[in-house]
Amino acid sequence: MTGLFKSIAAAVGFTAMVASPILASAADLPSNIRLVIGSKSTGGDTYQNSAIIADALAKKLDINVKVDAVGSSEAFKALQRDSRGTTIMIFHDQSYLGNLYGVRGYDDIFENYVVGPTVAINPGNAYLVPKNSPMQSMEDVFAAAAAGVRVRVAIQAGGVSEIGFSAMKNAARIMNPGSEANIVPVNTGSQADKNQLMFDGQADVINGSVQANEQFTHLAASDQKAMRFVWLTAREETIEQANPEGMGNTTSEELLAFTTPNVSVTFDGSTDFTFDKEFFFLFNKDMDADQIAAIDAALKEIFEAGEIQKTQKASFFIPNYKPQAEASAYLKAKRDQYRQVIDSISAN
Amino acid sequence: MELLSILSPLFFGLVAAGTVVGIIFGAIPGMTATMAVAVCLPLTYSLGLENGLALLLGLYVGGISGGLVPAILLNIPGTPSSITTTLDGYPMTQNGEGERALKIGITSSLVGGLISLAALYLFAPALADFAIKFSYIEKFLIIFFALTVMAALSSSLLIGIFSGFLGIFISLIGAYDISRGGNGELRLVPEFLEYYLESGFSLLPVLIGLFGLATILIDAEHGMKDAKELSKIKIGGAPFKLSVFKGQIINLIRSSSIGTFVGILPGVGGSAASILAYSQEKNFSRNPDKFGKGAPEGVIASESANNGLTGGALVPLLSLGIPGDSTTAILIGAFTLQGIQVGPLFIGNNPITWDAMIIAMLVANIVMFLVMVFAIRHLAKVVTVPKNILFPIILMMCVVGAYTINYGVMFDVWTLLIFGLFGYLAHKIRLEIAPFIIGFILGPSAEIYFVKSLESFGTFSIFFTKSWIAVLLWVLIAVSIAFSISVARKKKRIVD
Amino acid sequence: MSFDSPFHVTVDFSSSHLIFPTIIAVILGVLFISILITRGSTILATVTNGTWWPAGIDHARFFGTLALTVIYFLAMPSVGDIFPNTGLGFYLCSIPYLFALSTLFLRERNRRTLMIAGANALIAPSVVWYILSELFNISLP
Repeated sequence: MTGLFKSIAAAVGFTAMVASPILASAADLPSNIRLVIGSKSTGGDTYQNSAIIADALAKKLDINVKVDAVGSSEAFKALQRDSRGTTIMIFHDQSYLGNLYGVRGYDDIFENYVVGPTVAINPGNAYLVPKNSPMQSMEDVFAAAAAGVRVRVAIQAGGVSEIGFSAMKNAARIMNPGSEANIVPVNTGSQADKNQLMFDGQADVINGSVQANEQFTHLAASDQKAMRFVWLTAREETIEQANPEGMGNTTSEELLAFTTPNVSVTFDGSTDFTFDKEFFFLFNKDMDADQIAAIDAALKEIFEAGEIQKTQKASFFIPNYKPQAEASAYLKAKRDQYRQVIDSISAN
Repeated sequence: MELLSILSPLFFGLVAAGTVVGIIFGAIPGMTATMAVAVCLPLTYSLGLENGLALLLGLYVGGISGGLVPAILLNIPGTPSSITTTLDGYPMTQNGEGERALKIGITSSLVGGLISLAALYLFAPALADFAIKFSYIEKFLIIFFALTVMAALSSSLLIGIFSGFLGIFISLIGAYDISRGGNGELRLVPEFLEYYLESGFSLLPVLIGLFGLATILIDAEHGMKDAKELSKIKIGGAPFKLSVFKGQIINLIRSSSIGTFVGILPGVGGSAASILAYSQEKNFSRNPDKFGKGAPEGVIASESANNGLTGGALVPLLSLGIPGDSTTAILIGAFTLQGIQVGPLFIGNNPITWDAMIIAMLVANIVMFLVMVFAIRHLAKVVTVPKNILFPIILMMCVVGAYTINYGVMFDVWTLLIFGLFGYLAHKIRLEIAPFIIGFILGPSAEIYFVKSLESFGTFSIFFTKSWIAVLLWVLIAVSIAFSISVARKKKRIVD
Repeated sequence: MSFDSPFHVTVDFSSSHLIFPTIIAVILGVLFISILITRGSTILATVTNGTWWPAGIDHARFFGTLALTVIYFLAMPSVGDIFPNTGLGFYLCSIPYLFALSTLFLRERNRRTLMIAGANALIAPSVVWYILSELFNISLP
C-alpha cells in the first residue's frame, strides 16, 4: 500500500492507466513488475529483504514492484513461464542447496536461470545447545562424537538448515574418521519445532538463528528454555560489518566469539567451513539481457547512494551488492564448495 | 517513552480503523484476517511500532470476528475458524433468526476475546512454559481429540467417519511438507498432475469451493427457484435477549478457554479451536440433538472459541518468539521491521509496548462489538438481495480469495472449482461435508505429529506413557468417543 | 516403517512420507467395506430404482454456471497476460461473467432486472479491482 497516494492520483486518470503502455520508456523495463520470492512467509527474512530491495528499485526506476510470497516451487514456475521481464525472483542459497540435496522441485539454477546480482546477507545462521548441556562448544561436540556419544542435531532437511550439519559431519570425518556417524540428524520443521525438540530433550544441538534464539541465551541456566550459541556459520568479516550493537543484548563482538576462527569447523583440515545466507536475484533464462542490465545498474546506483545499507543493517542484514556476472560466478564457486562437503559425507 | 504519550488519538484511531477493515475482510467469503494483516504490514513501517501494532491487532481481532457474518447468513465460513459457526448459525437464519444469531455470535466473540486477553495479560509467561510441555505426542493427541468431533458432527456415524477419513486422505495429496519436517516426497499424486499438485490442495480454496460454489451449484440445479422464498425470511425473528446466555456461562468460559489454549500451542492451528469447543459443548449438552438445527449454544461455543484464539496465539509469539497461528506469523514481521526482537525477554524488555498491545486488543474487541452491533441490521439484509445478484458476486469474491491466499497461484482458483463440484457430488451421494472438511484441515498436522512421534521414540506405547498430559488427553478422547456413540444410538432408537 | 516388535518401530526418514497415507488408506478401505455391508442393499436399491442424474434438474442453469465458470477461469490468466501484473485480467473478465451469470439466474428477464444485472456487473468488479489491486496492491490475475 506504499503507493496509496499514487493510486488515488491514478484513479482520477483510470482510463489513462489502462491505456498506458506496458513498457516504461526509461530502461525498457515493464512498468509493473512482479517479484516472486522463494518463501511463503511474509514475516520472514526473504520477504523483508525483498521488500527493502523492491521498494528501492521501484523508487529508482519509477515503476511498480510487487513482492509476492508464493514459495519456491510456485516462484520457479512463475519465473519459468515469463521471459518478458514482468516476473523476477529473489531467493537465497536454498535455491542451489535444494538441488545439491536432491529435493524435489529444485533444478540446477545456474543452467536454468540467470543468477545474480546479490543484494544482502542474513548472517544469523547458528547452532545452539541447551545452556546446561555437557557440550558447551563445538569442540565438545566433536569430542563427544569421537568418544562414541550420539549427538542429535535438529535441522530442517534439504537446504540452508542442513548445510551446517553436513559441515559438522565433514569436520568430524576429517578430525576423527568414523566419528561422523555419531552426529545424526533429527529432521524437523520450523524454528518452533527445533526449539521444542531441545526442550523435550530429543535434540542435543539445534539449528537456529541469532535473530530468533538470542533472547533464549540470556535466560538463567535453570530455565528449561535456556540455550547457548556454539557456532555461527557466518564468515568473520560478515559479522564485523554488522552494527556494533549486534542483536538484542549480544554485541557484534560477542557474536564474533562464535564464528571462525574462534570456533573452528574445518572444511578440509586447513581452512574453516563458513556459510552466509545470501539473497540474490534470479531471472528467466530468456529475459532480455538489457533488462537485466538495467536492474543491475539501478541496484548499483542504489547501493552507491548508501541509504539502503542503513535500512538493511537496522534489520540485521549485511549489505552485499555484487554485480550480476560477478555474483553468478561467485555463487557457482560457493555451490561447488558445498557440493564437495555433501559428497564427502555421503560417500561413506 | 511513557505509556500515556503512546496512547494518542492516532493510536485509538488506528485500532478502530484496523478493526473495521478487519471485519470487512473477515466478512467477505475468501478474504481472511491473515490477508488483512499481510496487506497492511508495509504500512506499519512508517507508523512506528506501537501505532503499527495498534492497526495490525485491530485487523486481527476484526478479521477473526467478521468471519461469523457470512457463516451465519450465507452458510459460507468467512474464515476457516468459523466453520462450526455455520452448523447452527445458518439454520438459525433459515428459521428467520439471522439477526439474533449474529448478535449471539458477536457477544460470544467479545467474551471470548476478553477472556483470552485476560489470560494473555496475566499468565503469558506461565502459559508459555506450560505450552512447551506439549511435544509431538501431546500435540498428536490434541489433534486426535479434535478429530473425534467428526463422529459428533455426523448424522450417520459410519458415513460421517468415512467422510472424515476421506478428508484426511485428500489433505495428504502432494509433497510431505519439508517446512513442517517432512521429506518433500510426493504421494497420492498421479504423474500428469505433479506439476500442479506439488503442494497439494490449499485449505481456503477447498473450503470456499465446498461451501460457496457447491451451494450455488445446488441452487442452480433447482433453477434458483427459491429466490423469492429467501427474501421472505423475516429479518428479526425472535428478538435477541441477553437471557439467551443464561445457563451458558460455563459454555462461554469453557469455549473461550479452549480457544485460548489451542492458540497457545504453535502449529495446532486456529480451526481446531472452534471445532473442539463446539464438540465439547455438544457432548456436555443435555439435548445434543438440537445441534445442527439452530442451537444458539453451538454459535456461542464456536464464536467464543475462535475469538479466544486471538489472545492465545499471542502468548507464544510474545514469550517464545514463535507464532501461534498464521496471522501472528505475519505479526512477527511488524516487530522485525522495527528492529524489535520477540522472544522470552520481550515482555520484560518492552513493558510499555506490551501494555500498549494489551490496550489495543482491549479497544479492538470493544470497537468490534460496537461496530458490529450497529451494523447488524444492515448486514442481515444481505439475505434479501436477489440471488441472481448476490451469487455471482460471491463467486467473484471466492475467486479473488482463492487466487490471493497464496499470493497469486492460478491453480488455487481451479481448486475452488474442483471442490465446488466435489461438494455438489458429495451432496448427491450423501457424503458428509462437515466431517470431511475437519479431516481435511487436521490431516496434515495429524500426520506430522504421528510420524515424528514414532521417529523420535520408535514405539507406539509412548503415546500412553509420555506424560500425565497424554494420559489426560486419552481420557478426554475416550469420553468424547463414548458420548458420540451413545448419542448415535439414541438417535437410531428414535428413528427406529 | 519396519516393526522390530509389536510396539517398536523404526521409521526410515526417506520413506516416511508413505506411512500415514497407507494407514489412512487401510482405514478408508475398512470403512468402505463396512458401509457396503450395512447399507449395500439400500445403496443398490437407490441406484437401480432412482432416476438417473442429470434428469430432473435445471440443465441450463446448472451446466450454464459450470461452463461460464470454466470459461471465466480460462480467460482470466490469458487476458491478464496481455496486461501483466495489473489485475486487468480479473477486471475485464469479471464484468461479462457477472452479467452472464446474473442473467442466467434471472427468472423474469425484463428491462428493469437486466439493467440491475448490468449495473451490478459493472460496479462490483470495478470496486473490487480498485480497492484490492490499486489501493491494497494485491496481485490479481
